[in-house]
Amino acid sequence: MAQVVMKALNKKYDEVHAVKDVNLHIRDKEFMVLVGPSGCGKTTTLRMVAGLEEITAGDIVIGDRVVNDLPPKDRDIAMVFQNYALYPHMTVYDNMAFGLKMRKFPKAEIQKRVQDAADLLGIGELLKRKPRQLSGGQRQRVAVGRAIVRHPQVFLFDEPLSNLDAKLRVQMRVELKRLHDRLETTAIYVTHDQVEAMTLGDRVVVMKDGWIQQVGEPLELYGKPANKFVAGFIGSPAMNFADATVVEEGGGLVVTSPGFRIPVPPARVERLRAYKGQALTLGIRPEDMRIGGDGAHAFDALVDVVEPLGSEILLNITIGQQAMVARVEPTVRAKIHEKIRFNVEPDRLHYFDAKTEAAI
Amino acid sequence: MTVSDIPSRRARRTSVARQREIGVAYVLLAPTVILLVGVLAYPIAWEIWVSLTDLSPLNDGPARFVGLENYRRLAGDPQFWHAATVTIVYAVVTSVAKLGLGMVFALLLARPFRGRAFVFLAVFLPWAYPASVSVIGWYWTLSPPIPTAYSVFMGTLKWAVDSALGGGAWAFLSVTLFNIWRGSSFIGVFLLAGLNAVPPELFDCALLESKSAWRRFWLVTVPLLRPFLALAVFLSITTAFSDLTNVWMLTAGRIVFPVVGTQAYWLAIKSGQFGPGSALSLALVPFLLAVLVVFFWMFDRPETRRARGTA
Repeated sequence: MAQVVMKALNKKYDEVHAVKDVNLHIRDKEFMVLVGPSGCGKTTTLRMVAGLEEITAGDIVIGDRVVNDLPPKDRDIAMVFQNYALYPHMTVYDNMAFGLKMRKFPKAEIQKRVQDAADLLGIGELLKRKPRQLSGGQRQRVAVGRAIVRHPQVFLFDEPLSNLDAKLRVQMRVELKRLHDRLETTAIYVTHDQVEAMTLGDRVVVMKDGWIQQVGEPLELYGKPANKFVAGFIGSPAMNFADATVVEEGGGLVVTSPGFRIPVPPARVERLRAYKGQALTLGIRPEDMRIGGDGAHAFDALVDVVEPLGSEILLNITIGQQAMVARVEPTVRAKIHEKIRFNVEPDRLHYFDAKTEAAI
Repeated sequence: MTVSDIPSRRARRTSVARQREIGVAYVLLAPTVILLVGVLAYPIAWEIWVSLTDLSPLNDGPARFVGLENYRRLAGDPQFWHAATVTIVYAVVTSVAKLGLGMVFALLLARPFRGRAFVFLAVFLPWAYPASVSVIGWYWTLSPPIPTAYSVFMGTLKWAVDSALGGGAWAFLSVTLFNIWRGSSFIGVFLLAGLNAVPPELFDCALLESKSAWRRFWLVTVPLLRPFLALAVFLSITTAFSDLTNVWMLTAGRIVFPVVGTQAYWLAIKSGQFGPGSALSLALVPFLLAVLVVFFWMFDRPETRRARGTA
């Protein structure tokens, strides 16, 4: 059981500055997810915690020890890799026992721990097999089991579900979450999949180009993204963006964009007043576009593509020149080229500075 | 036509088509079969036959079948046992050294560092360079053709080695060194390819569990490279057993260093005794085959084969 603290963490390769001034406090027993597009520095950060990459600058604290100069073996961490990293020449049992054997644990203790982990993961039958004889999901369980038997202070997961097919991924996601609730061990989990991040993380760190963009609970990231990148990255289908300007009209403010004009709700007026006459980016979540309505918050859109998903329908629409996606009820019968009237709840809109992309 | 005879007619037609397909398959295989029979099976069969006769250009009349007489005579010939021993020692010593050095090269080159390209080139050059040229370089280095202080030094060294370890020791040493120099280059690059084929996470994972590079090497690197190591030994041993050119050129064709290859050459080609010469060159084949079968088994274990089938 331990916290993990990163202080002004930096990683520079010859040409590339991969991780930039990362400050992060991962609490004891917390499940922290690092998410971002490939090349954002999330895996490098994780590997620095593991000790597989040297730290260029900054500190990493596990528990209350600075581990910068500690070899990986002494950091009391266990890691699960994307491609499972099982040894093909060893049986499942030997793979799971590998770390304990290397640490010269007594045989009886190894046996007990491996058996316990195997029972927990439902792979007790497979202990005598070789990795080649297992399915992807079974291999992933073995890889998780190998981490569990070590009883580490921190679990490190490097995209552990990426090699699984979609259905299995969802199933293993649930199992990992259940496992974490049961073991109550601090975990750092790296993924590029925002759904995994949202569903697994107690808190989520969104990274891009080596920088932390935002740290927060999943719904906080979704509801109050700190900038346009986080807003677009979290959520599927992604948030719609439109170039817009703020103008003063009859004492109030109005956001205009080709195709629609929406009055700014009083609560937002103060902050948006500074952007009067300037370009900004408007963000609308697909589920915040509702069919029907009249008055100031309504606008017309042309349907381009209809994607019926069963539980919902995604409409690819054009408003003015802007292509957007709306998520509507499965009962809606929309046809291509049909003109449909939408309305939005002004409180649910997001505004971003066009230059800095920070949320307003 | 009734419904019931449709399947049988179809079956007959299928079997005719199938027959024709099989025929075409044999036709397509024919060039390979002819080639293999022509360049492999026939010469080997002929050599086995010759080893059972007294075929020689020095004899008049047709070759006489002598049964195992040539082999029986070999078994009683101390020169044969000497050559066989030298050959086996040569194969074992060079294989072990090449494997060790090659492994060092491969591990050295597996990690990125400044100037890696140059080191790679330096390691690979002995293998990339034509053997016929480099062997002459070695020959001149070990037996300098121009009298200088260096040639005097090498002469003294050769005399010292031969008188300390017995005649032929210097020749054995030089041939072994050349073989190791050239072969470890190849095996190094070969094992490097093997290392690169292993997912790096397997080494990362070991790093998380042990500080000792020595233990990680024996428990993880070596088993993961097993197929590559087996194949490297396989290649190393076969080339050492069949080595004639390097030994011949480095020792200038003398018989101070008799391996089976050179001795058979002397016997068959230079002295015209085809029968005994063939017997000599075949004498170690059963032993070699046994060794290779063991390595082949290591290279492609039944369990990995089965697993690959189900994957």
